[in-house]
Parts: sequence; C-alpha cells; structure tokens
Amino acid sequence: MLELLATADPGGTSLAQALLQQVANGIAKGSVYALIAVGYTMVYGVLQLINFAHGEVYMLGAYFSYYPAKWMGYTTDPEDPTFVPAKVPLYVVGFLFVCSMACCALLGMLIERFAYRPLRDSSRLAALITAIGVSLLLQNGGIMLFKADPRGFPTLVEQSSVDLGLVALTNTKIIIVVVAAVMMTGLHLFVQKTRPGAAMRACSFDMRTARLMGVNVDGTIGLTFAIGSIMAAVAGVLVAMDQPTIDPLMGLMAGLKAFVAAVLGGIGSIPGAALGGLLLGVTESVVGTFSTTYAEAVAFVLLILVLLVKPSGLLGKSGREKV
Amino acid sequence: MRKALILAIAATALAFTAIGCKDKGNEAGGSGATEDTVKLGLFVSTTGEIATFGGDTKNGAELAVEEINKAGGIKGKTIDLRFYDTASKAEEAGNVATKLATQDKVLVAMGAVASGLSLAAAPVFEQNGVPMVSPSSTNPTVTQQGKNIFRICFLDDFQGGACAVFAYKELGKRKAAIIRNQDDAYSTGLADYFRLKFKALGGEIVADESYKKGTKEFASQITNVKAKEPDIIFLPCYYNDVALLSQQIRGQGIGDDVPMLGGDGWESANLIPNSKGALEGSYFGNHYSPEDPSEHVQAFVKGYKAKYNTAPSSLAALGYDVVYVVKKAIEDAGEFDRAKVRDALAALKDFKGVTGTFSIDENRDARKPISILKVQGDKFLPVKQIQPQDVK
Repeated sequence: MLELLATADPGGTSLAQALLQQVANGIAKGSVYALIAVGYTMVYGVLQLINFAHGEVYMLGAYFSYYPAKWMGYTTDPEDPTFVPAKVPLYVVGFLFVCSMACCALLGMLIERFAYRPLRDSSRLAALITAIGVSLLLQNGGIMLFKADPRGFPTLVEQSSVDLGLVALTNTKIIIVVVAAVMMTGLHLFVQKTRPGAAMRACSFDMRTARLMGVNVDGTIGLTFAIGSIMAAVAGVLVAMDQPTIDPLMGLMAGLKAFVAAVLGGIGSIPGAALGGLLLGVTESVVGTFSTTYAEAVAFVLLILVLLVKPSGLLGKSGREKV
Repeated sequence: MRKALILAIAATALAFTAIGCKDKGNEAGGSGATEDTVKLGLFVSTTGEIATFGGDTKNGAELAVEEINKAGGIKGKTIDLRFYDTASKAEEAGNVATKLATQDKVLVAMGAVASGLSLAAAPVFEQNGVPMVSPSSTNPTVTQQGKNIFRICFLDDFQGGACAVFAYKELGKRKAAIIRNQDDAYSTGLADYFRLKFKALGGEIVADESYKKGTKEFASQITNVKAKEPDIIFLPCYYNDVALLSQQIRGQGIGDDVPMLGGDGWESANLIPNSKGALEGSYFGNHYSPEDPSEHVQAFVKGYKAKYNTAPSSLAALGYDVVYVVKKAIEDAGEFDRAKVRDALAALKDFKGVTGTFSIDENRDARKPISILKVQGDKFLPVKQIQPQDVK
C-alpha cells in the first residue's frame, strides 16, 4: 500500500483528471449494465419474477450476430491462415443488430411461453428455480453448440481513441453510451406514452383487474419479455463490438452485475435501472483509480450501504406500481 | 465339501503369493522391459477443459515413439507406449498413476501437463520407485514431491525474470507497467518475478494493475497505466485475455512505441487473429519457436506437419522432447532398471532437444533457455534466447 501511494505520483496527469477519465469509463461500462438491467426490472415489474436466464439472452444476442456475420464471410477465425478479415460495411452492421434483436425477442417470448407461463399460478419459488434452470440450460447448451473456447468477433467498428476535451474515450465506447441513451429514452417513452405501454403498466399494477378491463395479459407479458430481450441483444452486440471475443459464459457476470444494478436502482423501475447501472459502473471505475484489485469489492460494499439506507433501491417505490 | 473349499482358498492364496514373489524378482531385475519391448507410460488429459494441451503433448510423444521404433528402438527394444487419459481431473491422475506403476509396470512414466495433475500423480510414482518426467508442469512444487520426479520445462520464476532481463537489457526499457489476472497463480507468479527482477536491474514499475478472472473490459486498468506513461507493458496472462487487452490498450491510444510483453500463455493459433493486429511488434517468451531455422527443429516441424497436418505447439515440442530425454537416460543407464534410469535422468547434461539444449539440475528441474518471440504479421519470429545464467 505504501508503495502504491509512492507510485501514485501523477506522471503527467493530475488526480482530478484521472478521476474524470474513470467517470467517463464508468459511464460506458454502466450503460451496458443499464441496458441489461431493464430486462430484469421490466419482468420483475410485471411478474415479480427474477428472470435469471436474462444474462444468457445477452450472451445469445452476441452469438445471434456472430453467426450471420460468419455466414456472410465476416469472420476472424477462418480455416485458411492467410485470410484477411473483410471490413464490415455499415448496412451489414445494422443488419446484424436487427437480426440479433429479432432472434432475442423471439427467444425471450419462447422462454416465457414454455418455461414461465405454465408456472404462472404456482409459487414464486417454483418460477425462480425454473429461471435458474433455464439459465443453466442455455449456458450448457451454448457450450455444447458453440464450444467453450472464446471466439473472435469481427471488427464492426475500427477502434480509435477520441479526444473529448477533458477526457478521451474509444469510439466504440461513445457508440455504446449514445445507443444506450437512445434505447433507454425510447423505452421510457414507449412505456409512458403508448397503449401497449399503458397495458404493461396496468398489468404490473394489478394483472387480474387489467384482464377484466380488456387488456390482453398474455400478449402484454410476451411483449415485456420481447422488449427486455431486445435491449439485452443490443447490449450483447455492443459489447462484442467493444470487446471482440464472445464465449458461452459471458452472460454470467454481466447478468449478475445488471441484476445488482436493477436492485440498486429499485427493481421494477426503468429509470431506476438506468441510474443503478450508471452508478455501479462509475463506482467500479472510480475505485479502480486507486486499486483495480479491490474495485469490485469496494463497489459492492457501497451498494450494500445504499440498500441498508434505502432497501427498495434508489428509485424503487414501496407501493405496488412497478413499471 | 468344506474341506474342498478350504483347499481351494489355500491354493488361491498360494498362487497369489507366488505371483507376488515373481513381481519382486521382476522389479529387482529389469522391470518395465520384456525380451524385445520396453514399456513407457504416458498420462495427459485428452478430454476435459485442458484437452488441447494434452492432445498436442500426446501427438508430439507419439511422433517421437514412432521415429525411435523405426530407427531400431532403445538399445534394440521397441517402445511399448501405454497411454492413459487423465480427463483434466486430479483424482483420475492418481488412478492412472497407480495403474501405470502397478499393473503396466512401466519403466518410466511421462506426464502430466497441468501442475495440479502432476502433483496428484507424483506421490504414487515416488512410492513405487518409478521415475516420472513431466513435459510441461511449471509449478515449483512438482519436482519437490520426491527424488524420482523430474521435469523438462522451465519454471515460472525463470520465465518472469527472463522477460524482465529482455525488456531491460535488450529493449532498453526502464518504465514497465504490469496488468495481471489476480485470480490466477500463473499470472501473479510471473508478474511477481518480473517485478522483482526488473526492479533489481534498476528499472521502475510505474503501474501494477489487476483484473478478475472473466473480465473483458479493461478501461480502468488501462487508464491508470496510460497516466503513468510506461515504455513497456507486461501482460502475464493467457492468450484470450491478451487478445482483448492488447486491442483495448491500442484503442485507448497507447502507441506502438510501447510494446507488450508476456509469457508462454500467449502461444495459441488464435492469438494473432483475435488480437487484430494490436500485438504487432510485441514479444513473448516461449519454450521454442517453429520458425527456428536449426536443422533439428525444422526436421521435427516437418515430421509433425506430415503426420498431423498442423504446426506443432510448444506442448507438442515438449511431448516430443520428453520421449527422447527418457531414451537418452535409458541408454546412459545401460540397463532397463528404474533406479539406474533415475540416476541417469538426474545426471542428464547438455541434452539437445527441439526446445533447446538443457541439463537437469540438483532440484530435478531443467536448466534451459527461453526463446523470446516477436509477433510479426501472422508469425512468431524468434529474436533472442535468454540463458539461465543471464537471469541469475
């Protein structure tokens, strides 16, 4: 520790500047947590179910764009060693995102239809255990199908450092932050301003009454899963673009962090998921300025302290309206 | 009826005793060898999580056995290689060791790759007086299990130190940053030995960052490293992490004038494609290089490619060398006797293998050079060999 302090002597950059840079890093990291966290929070809002398979949807989101890219010839692991990977054009990048979003939306609805709907009237514990089961099934199925070895993801965007005045971020991280902000705002507007959004809020408020009022409850729950999965799919492709190797267990840690972010922000609240994600990302990064060894440990201690003071999370309500 | 039963039991017991006696006679004489074959054991994991390492080792060893048998065997006896898969499990390594030592009664056992498995097998061989030679277990405690346990690869302390010597003396670097995987003994071991040696030489460690297993985003670590303006970055990690780290290091704007450096964990056919050019001009220490122009290495590479249609990895090269080391020891011993072969292994001097010329030291470890390779295009080019005496 003494030595650490000694070497902490700023070699060109001041501590304030380093901290600012870490806040920027943390916002990028937190944007990804937030995108995944909304999936946990929306499903919890409607069904009071913690969908542990959500991290795996994120993982599959990356694979659902990896394979189409590979089939179109954009790959880094060809059999021929002299092969030079082609540059991925922008319209293909767009197609990969859409493809991954569509596949994940379908997957999310299938998981709900076959794993959770039959158990909707059983105890919440049964559904929770099923969720863990689905998560393990997808992880191990992924290992079987895709092999455990991490795969190189094609370069969607050539990484470079962008100087933003006080801080510098890679272009991929800027894309992550912008895309996440647009998606989260869109989602918020959708839930607040549209009829399906109103149906979602109604279901989360009281599912039986909503049904009596003519809301298609099964359809609305399916839509909730689809939207959550779309957000996870986007997160999966964005992360694969920024950190271009993917493996079948990549959803494990990301899912856990996102779940923590959702709880921190107040599970059931969409703005809460965004706030929780950003806060977790920034805390981790800022603590990392002083010690990367204990960054996660310290970040989690802070979270526990927040939850001790405010057990329902930062923006969570103790009332029943959840979305 | 009862009498007959007792008689039968007595007879069986007698028969077992007789077999037991015969066994003892066999061991005292020339165990592991018959009239025209010599039994050698090989145990590595060809299934489970480290299957590729074991598979490569087995390929290398089998190529060597084939060559030796074609050329007339060891002192006129052909090698009877008894292979068992240890399935990446320590308990399986213990079972296999018992099988090799007591059922197959091999003269010498070769294995395992992973230190954890070697540690499980070593006590069994030690008890049974069977010499065991590990091709690639780098943990220092492996050969401390007993006087019958040997290895032919270098250790992590030497590897870390050699990287420091290369960075300081060959590249003239003075300010090193380290990014290590804090959950991995291999990574922290290399990092600690590099740190120690680099400082002892007069260099400065400007940053020493860690990350947790499974981390894919290193922005915090790299931000800290970049602020300290190092002139070299030491990455004692496995190739999957190195591929991501290197891209993010370059992506965050640390330029090509700051090379990266690492150990044998970098070696993989996936390293160059997955790092997408970010490692161009960086260096790592390895057991050997398939690009080594020496005749011996090229003959091995050619033979291996002909048999398996792929370039041999370090593990294949070590698997190949271990068989020849055993052959040399048996020839030096002059007879097919475990104790004599053990003594010959302990006295092995200046053995010329494809992984370098080496001797076995008083700790039953190999004293051998490390090859520093440079990443250039899609190749790993050998640039320098660091000798054990350069690091001491």
